[in-house]
Amino acid sequence: MAEESFLSDEFVRQLTAVGEVDILVGIPTFNNRSTIERVVNAVQIGLVKYFPRERTALINPDAGSSDDTPEIVKNSSIRDFRTLLSATPLRTTHRITTPYRPNDGKGGALRIVLAAADLLRAKACAIVSPDIESITPEWIEGLVRPVYKEKFDLVTPIYHRHKFDGLLIKNILAPMIRALYGVRIREPVGGEVAFSGRLACHYLEQNVWHEEVVHTGTEVWMITSAVVGGFKLCQSFLGPKLHALNSSPQDIVRTIQSVVGALFRCMEVQESYWLSRTESQPIPVFGFEYSSGLEPRRLNRKKMFLMFQNGVNQLAPLLESILSPETLKDIQRISQGDEKAFRFPEDLWVKTIYEFAASYHHSVINRDHLLQALTPLYRGRICSVLLEEHRSDAEQIERRLEDLCQQYERLKPRLIERWTQKA
Amino acid sequence: MQDRPVDTLQTWYKDAIIYQLHVRAYHDNTGDGIGDFRGLTEKLDHIQELGATAIWLLPFYPSPLKDDGYDIADYLSVHPSYGTLEDFQAFLEEAHRRDMRVITELVLNHTSDQHPWFQEARSSTDNPRRNWYVWSDTDDRYRDARIIFVDTEMSNWAWDPVSKSYYWHRFFSHQPDLNYDNPEVREEMWKVMKFWLEMGVDGFRLDAVPYLVEREGTSCENLPETHEVLKSLRRRVDENFSNRMLLAEANQWPADLAPYFAEGNEFHMAFHFPLMPRMFMAIKLEDRKPIIEIHQQTPPIPDVCQWAIFLRNHDELTLEMVTDEERDYMYDEFAREKSAKLNVGIRRRLAPLLENDRRRVELLTGMLMSLPGTPIIYYGDEIGMGDNIYLGDRNGVRTPMQWNGGWNGGFSTSDPEQLYSPLISNPVYGYQAINVLSQQRSEHSLLSWMRRVVRLRKSSPVFGRGTIEFLNPANHRVLAYVRERGTNRVLVVNNLSSSAQAAELDLRPWQGLIPIEMFGGNPFPRIGELPYLLTLGPYQFYWFRLRRF
Amino acid sequence: MGNLVLNTLSHTFKGFFEILALFLPRLLSMLVMIAVGFVVALFFKALVRRLFGIETFRKYCDSAGLTQMMRKAALPPPDVLLGQLIFWVIWLVFIVLGIDALEIAALQEQISRFFLFLPQIFVALVVLFVGLLVANFFSRATLLAATNANYPSARLLSGLVRLLIIIFTVTMALEQIGLGRHVVLIAFSIAFGAIMLGAAIAFGLGGRDVARRVLEKRFLESEEKEKEEDISPL
Repeated sequence: MAEESFLSDEFVRQLTAVGEVDILVGIPTFNNRSTIERVVNAVQIGLVKYFPRERTALINPDAGSSDDTPEIVKNSSIRDFRTLLSATPLRTTHRITTPYRPNDGKGGALRIVLAAADLLRAKACAIVSPDIESITPEWIEGLVRPVYKEKFDLVTPIYHRHKFDGLLIKNILAPMIRALYGVRIREPVGGEVAFSGRLACHYLEQNVWHEEVVHTGTEVWMITSAVVGGFKLCQSFLGPKLHALNSSPQDIVRTIQSVVGALFRCMEVQESYWLSRTESQPIPVFGFEYSSGLEPRRLNRKKMFLMFQNGVNQLAPLLESILSPETLKDIQRISQGDEKAFRFPEDLWVKTIYEFAASYHHSVINRDHLLQALTPLYRGRICSVLLEEHRSDAEQIERRLEDLCQQYERLKPRLIERWTQKA
Repeated sequence: MQDRPVDTLQTWYKDAIIYQLHVRAYHDNTGDGIGDFRGLTEKLDHIQELGATAIWLLPFYPSPLKDDGYDIADYLSVHPSYGTLEDFQAFLEEAHRRDMRVITELVLNHTSDQHPWFQEARSSTDNPRRNWYVWSDTDDRYRDARIIFVDTEMSNWAWDPVSKSYYWHRFFSHQPDLNYDNPEVREEMWKVMKFWLEMGVDGFRLDAVPYLVEREGTSCENLPETHEVLKSLRRRVDENFSNRMLLAEANQWPADLAPYFAEGNEFHMAFHFPLMPRMFMAIKLEDRKPIIEIHQQTPPIPDVCQWAIFLRNHDELTLEMVTDEERDYMYDEFAREKSAKLNVGIRRRLAPLLENDRRRVELLTGMLMSLPGTPIIYYGDEIGMGDNIYLGDRNGVRTPMQWNGGWNGGFSTSDPEQLYSPLISNPVYGYQAINVLSQQRSEHSLLSWMRRVVRLRKSSPVFGRGTIEFLNPANHRVLAYVRERGTNRVLVVNNLSSSAQAAELDLRPWQGLIPIEMFGGNPFPRIGELPYLLTLGPYQFYWFRLRRF
Repeated sequence: MGNLVLNTLSHTFKGFFEILALFLPRLLSMLVMIAVGFVVALFFKALVRRLFGIETFRKYCDSAGLTQMMRKAALPPPDVLLGQLIFWVIWLVFIVLGIDALEIAALQEQISRFFLFLPQIFVALVVLFVGLLVANFFSRATLLAATNANYPSARLLSGLVRLLIIIFTVTMALEQIGLGRHVVLIAFSIAFGAIMLGAAIAFGLGGRDVARRVLEKRFLESEEKEKEEDISPL
């Protein structure tokens, strides 16, 4: 098996010393000095508080931090549990740090955690981001309990967030996964996830670790892989999602390229699964939910609209080869309208995305370029969403989301048609 | 900790192996169904062959026996069921002839309400012995004192209908507390001690010592006044007798036990209560953490002093000195039967607690013999006796000793119905399956193994007198430590888990030494620079003597 | 005199017919070779078309933008083109071999010169081909990057990039076949240098502030990078 070559000897030695665990938590790090201590302590307390009798271990794959992050992970300890809980931990706590190649991306870190879970025969695993500032010990309970006690295989998180956060997920990823794979997941790309030991072995067996999609679009691959493999999914409500301020702001172009590209690639690999599916099912939600934040946020809609217009203009020759003539004409029409009255209708958006997906599949142009060409259109859609919803309350937003999802499901035959036709 | 050479005779208790028994349960010579001293004297060979060097007797004084003898009605005599004072003396001489010392109980804190002292004290308020006990008109004094026998008592005060007032009792209501603020009481108790010491008794286990003195607004435990009383008793013992030992029964956290050792001028020994449940917990958790932690919390004690460690005794496996979480865990793992729980503990013997798993019994006994302190073996555990949780209170662990598979298990020639307690008779633990005679005949019985491990322990002074250094291998299921005294070194490695384990030990301080495995005598590879790899089967342990050649 | 003429004529004609007789078989063999060559070339064309008609190659061409480009240039699709190419190459070889069989010395020399020249042409064609691909790719990449970074006149920039690369490629190709080597080289150097110099001056002098800002952005980590809105997409 290829596992041996990517686990260092020292790591394997430490794993054998641990032997067997019930719950494993993975925290991949890279220069997260400012937040990592709090995250590690929250995980620790969560494990002791909610799973006091279980054998647990914390695995930290580190991509070569230069700011002593791994040392902090190893040494941060809670001096006196009694101020936080009613009891000290029954068992020895295990923390193992191991390096991995940054080129392998998120997928490399995941692979290490999966290998550890396999060797330690963990029944439940969770992965937590190292820079999340809003983490509490309850997150561990929320992530692990559905796997450990309720026997689910994959737990995706639900965060309490602003109504305008996560628009890429709400407008492309979630509805598309719903329409294609038949599962209604609200946050397919969160930084936190939990899965069972069984599913971990399944992931390891898919020999896809050299593929780009696993490096950059890890979560998407995990979800689609789990759905196709017939595993039980559920969602768990965790809390607000606040990342540390100095973590690099999402470069939208690269984000779309990696995440949407990952989805399109997964669609290609798993087309036999979704081509024949027709309906979607809701999946269970654990945890106590509360509604999204509605405070006003700083937005630059005008700039977004201009970039949309500009993009449609400049990229016309490219878009010609990607989209169907009617869709392109519609897009050009709305881009010439007034900014105030601008609307990117849902069905047009869905058609756009589907045509992009089909064109991706047929490789009409270089795939990276194709995804980059999606960015201005995405900006247009976001601008439209912001305009429509900036006075909406949570219920109205929910309803519109549901409508969008229905559109995706309704127009699926169109995708299938374009996908399966020969070029 | 070796600043001056300690007189080994004076500190005989550091090398002792103590065997705890109740004369009532051991052997019946007179045929009345109750064990007695003559019967015990007949069985001293067995105790000697086991390797024990001291015998600790549970109370044998005249008593109404409502608390198994801890309610004493006469301090200076022997209960007629067990024999006479002469019988006791004969036993004492025989024990000494076999080089075994005798430790008896001294219940300082309270007497039976049938004791003549109490009978007098309660008769009227101006009786001269009135102030020998603690009286009150109301029952709300000393509110901060906790109730110890939570399953049976509601209050520490009991109403006396005879003298129409309340009397103080920390234990059962029929055991009124003596008043140690009264100098007469203190003098009288010294006389009691002197009586037995002059007869030749080698030491006392002083029962319930934290509770001697009460003061308003305190928990009435471990008060400085109590320590004063104890220190003065100790002084008088030292002045008048030599090589005697005082053992404290104080169920406290190790840090709180330090005052009982004082500067070596109070107690010689004290029980290390918190260690005991943690040994069981470590086996269930398959993690050495509880044991390491309690050792870290154990303070150093004066050189002449010694901890007494044990796996089980005549009481319940007390869970007072653990956290709530740990107590719940222990209940869930060890006391599945609801009736096994009593007060704040579990009333079971060693073998049933370990599910009659021979490997686990050996492992825990090995740990008992190799951890710092003087080990105490409870009678019957050397053959793996079972218990009867359906007998009331703690009587389930105080059933007759099983000598052979015959009439009454060889305990008594009386009718079975006459026995003071029914025998254990089920197919697994019954006297036909578990008895001394059949185990004596086999080299591979638990009894034979026990003899061997006691012999090994006695073969080196490190166990009773040496230091301990814990090694912390990466594998948390392995408990490893080195006992050292001068140039004597023993490496002990225990596998706490039910599956085979490998452990790498950092033995660089002992580099160049050759480990000799003590049970088989075989040499193992010499210790080098690299970590020393050992593999152990389920519940297996090694004792290595580290020798320089 | 009539006899002399007749004799000379018959002699000449006899000579002529002899030469012809000698020549005809060679002509025949040439024709045969050409015919055989035709068949073989056809065969290979079909083979190549079959081979390269398969999915992977077509996909590759599609993604490299080749198919697009050729369609625009009114060329047949890649596998067809390649088939044609192979056809002509093989047939040419046979034709040349056939002509060679005629054993006409002057022709033979020309033929060998021609053959020596062929590889050069081939390489030049390859260079052109690759250059066109690269130009396409980079111009598109520039277009996308510029559009997404909201630079004005992204199309201008992308066209410029394409032009530059094509010029460079053509120059290389010409140099390869040795056409006006020096002239082309010098012309290219001058043009290229001028463009670069002009751009540097324009940017440095005219766009001084912009230059400073760009440098600041690149080398001093500024937090205001791309914070067009306060929401995160994921």
